[in-house]
Amino acid sequence: MKWATRAGVHIDRAACAWLIRRHIDADAVFVFVTDPSAMPADATPFDMRGVDLSHHGGDCTFETILRRYDLTDPVLWKIAEIVHEADIDDERYDAPEAPGLDVILRGLSMVCDDAQILRLTGPLFDGLYEYQRRALLLNRPPA
Amino acid sequence: MGPNHGDDGPCRWVLLAYRMPREPSRPRIAVWRRLERLGVARLGDGLVALPADARTREQIDWIADEIGEAGGSATVWLATPSATGQEQQIAAGMRAARAAEYQTVIDEARAASGVSAGERSRVVRRLRGELRRITRRDFFPPRERDAARAAVEALATSESIEAVTRKERP
Repeated sequence: MKWATRAGVHIDRAACAWLIRRHIDADAVFVFVTDPSAMPADATPFDMRGVDLSHHGGDCTFETILRRYDLTDPVLWKIAEIVHEADIDDERYDAPEAPGLDVILRGLSMVCDDAQILRLTGPLFDGLYEYQRRALLLNRPPA
Repeated sequence: MGPNHGDDGPCRWVLLAYRMPREPSRPRIAVWRRLERLGVARLGDGLVALPADARTREQIDWIADEIGEAGGSATVWLATPSATGQEQQIAAGMRAARAAEYQTVIDEARAASGVSAGERSRVVRRLRGELRRITRRDFFPPRERDAARAAVEALATSESIEAVTRKERP
């Protein structure tokens, strides 16, 4: 399936791309558009103004996708808190990891193109998932 | 993250023009808070502005959507002031607003200098968070910024706050 989002990806779009590929569509192909009207007709848009898979009711797009696809994995919801704070920074959640992740993604966007960012952040979110999974099982930060 | 200011003219701003129903008040207050958090300049009734960069433009876009979802209407504009003087006036207002926030941090750090070590480290943690939040919406840094940082670090290392803040004054 083809998925489309705005070019110049930051935390929310990078995390969503990872989420889509790992939990929704393993064969996902991502397209980055600079102008929303240039959206390919066969693509599912996300994290763009006025589309369904986007910010809603104070949620970031990562949270919206979890809701729309009924993903209830608590580890993903923990990551959603971090992504939410890194993206919106409204202190809805206590996510001390967020400012660090925000800086890492902003830095990457200065030296990489969008496809490269997705390649690099894939393993980053895999690691974050594994860390949060262990933290949840142990009920404390894993060593 | 600073403003996209050239030496040769005014910078580009992102403007949000919006209207929201008076009731229910909760979404209206939520939007107001988010705009405050971003450090917007209020240009008029339902018209706010920020220096345009990737982050401010995106945040303003999302707030515009949120206003639409709450039954209001919003349009987002990119604009350049026609006169530099106007812009300087707006920037001065934003700078003064941040200066007052930094000053509160300085005052709180000063007030905490006499308390127990445990309480002091709690205050340091809180004030560092506060500094981070203020710096994020600080587009035209006032000189109080360095003084506030120095005051919090002095509190952390138990230095005399009077000594470090005095150094910062011109």
